[in-house]
Amino acid sequence: MILNLERFQAQARPRWKNLEALLGGLESRPDRRLNPAEAQQLQEYYAQAAADLNRVTHGALAPELRQYLERLVARAYAELYYAPPTRSQIWQPRRWLRILRAFPESFRRQFRYFALALLVTVLGCTLGGLAVHYDPASVDVLLPADYLRNPGQRVHEEEQGQGRHLNSTQTEAAFSAQLIRHNIQVALLAAALGVTFGIGTALLLFENGILLGAVAVHYTQRGFGLFMTAWLLPHGVFEIPSILIAGQAGFYLARLLLHRREDRNVRQSMREWLVLVAGLAMMLVWAGIMEAFFSQYHAPVLPYGFKVAVAAAELVLLTLYLLLIGRSEIGAEARSNIPSEQR
Amino acid sequence: MTDTLSTRASTAVELTIATPEGVLFRLPLAGPASRLCAMLLDIVIVLGTVNGIGLLVYWIFARAPGFGVMVITLAEFAIGFAYDALLEGFWNGQTIGKRLFHLRVIDQAGLPLRIEQAWVRNLMRVVDALPFAYLIGGISVLSSPLMQRFGDRVAGTLVVRQTPLAVPGEESWTQQKYNSFMEYPTIAVHLRRAATPELASLIQDALRRRNELAPYARREIYRELAMYLQSEISPFPDELVERLSDEQYLIDASGILFGNQRLSRVQG
Repeated sequence: MILNLERFQAQARPRWKNLEALLGGLESRPDRRLNPAEAQQLQEYYAQAAADLNRVTHGALAPELRQYLERLVARAYAELYYAPPTRSQIWQPRRWLRILRAFPESFRRQFRYFALALLVTVLGCTLGGLAVHYDPASVDVLLPADYLRNPGQRVHEEEQGQGRHLNSTQTEAAFSAQLIRHNIQVALLAAALGVTFGIGTALLLFENGILLGAVAVHYTQRGFGLFMTAWLLPHGVFEIPSILIAGQAGFYLARLLLHRREDRNVRQSMREWLVLVAGLAMMLVWAGIMEAFFSQYHAPVLPYGFKVAVAAAELVLLTLYLLLIGRSEIGAEARSNIPSEQR
Repeated sequence: MTDTLSTRASTAVELTIATPEGVLFRLPLAGPASRLCAMLLDIVIVLGTVNGIGLLVYWIFARAPGFGVMVITLAEFAIGFAYDALLEGFWNGQTIGKRLFHLRVIDQAGLPLRIEQAWVRNLMRVVDALPFAYLIGGISVLSSPLMQRFGDRVAGTLVVRQTPLAVPGEESWTQQKYNSFMEYPTIAVHLRRAATPELASLIQDALRRRNELAPYARREIYRELAMYLQSEISPFPDELVERLSDEQYLIDASGILFGNQRLSRVQG
């Protein structure tokens, strides 16, 4: 049957134009919320356009018209089935501050992936440490940078303040920004490499572990253990856990991809991953500031004992934050939920 | 790399969505070439913005260049990620580059993408950009039936092409008052019965695209179509055909094919 295309178009054109006008209005509106009358109108036009599309698809060879109607139907479909967040929902500072509580909550919910990341890193550390301990020559292979290989010289330089010719707050500020940027990039890569079903994440963590283990054993063997602890830990207590959390996010993502299920709330799991990444980024900002402004000062200026004490205090605070924040409130919610279900 | 990308881009790939009401519609997917162009444009915009901000920051921090470097390093990093994610999240799946190249990021189900999806697909760029020049992302797009890079696969999004379409033209050649073919109802009815829908659409398309065709091409196409109709389908008398241009012949034929239904009554 030949659809009388001309007459059909002439009849239908007004309602297509109406739908287009309605959609144009909705799409340009910031909140894109429909009031009941508009919703009904949209539903009506949508049904008509869908029926028209059906007729054109099966009754005529009119590729342009079909494309036009498909576009129209697609737009109407999107408006009908999607409720975007309103402006007022997005621009609430309180909602943004909620990340501070959401981060430790997500961390605890996905703790087993953190444990896995920790395990991989510890394995790497052990391997790196053992290798350097039993085969000092392996240092050349395991530690790429020159400065890591000659602890004595490095410690001497550091304590003399060499290599920091422009030793001022200025250079430290620039240095901290570079550190933050670099660390976040590496951590983000670890979290994103979850798409390799976690293999990339594991390799990255393992390599990082080997480096850590090798440096620690190498410096300790030469008797610079305290220097190294004081040098690395003030920022390391934030940096190392944040890389572990990146690994956690990576493994979590890998698990999601391996077990794609239709019924799972994908949006919720994506948010979980984002919260972990945002949280570790915040930790790395702090680590970068500490590394540039605090860790680089050594014995004559800052006693090593003090630096280690600061590191220990940081670690305690971080642990308390990750383990306790939001916990009591979850408990309260759970308790209040139970009676309401019984009612 | 660009060569392989553009050859693949020429094949139209589309996503078919079936709505809960049983309506089917297709969304044309964007090829890697146009996405690459949009991305390059966005990179230029980001670099321009960052450098603009950089000048401002260095002016503000003239006394403390170190802090200036700090601010600009972090700002560059943050803008690099936030530009795409925020624009796509709040501007219905489009960045400036995507808008200019008529691309839009949407959810796999044909709905607008959510803010979480925008962030996830853009943070995933750290993987897609590996090892250089978006090689992994490019391979992922070419090997994916929905042309998704890894970020899209994880976030459940895809990029569609959205060239602007006008309301189909409001042609009026069938509404003409006088159609000389009506004088020969028998032949006209035969034309109507013998013409396949494909042929009818072909005639209509040729007329509709009148202004898109070069004059020479138009003359040739109209002549061939008219000759085909005249010799194979509906031989109208010569004395009539001689008076008509090929274009007028087709307009009259189209009027018979698609025009109002009175013809049968004339016949009856």
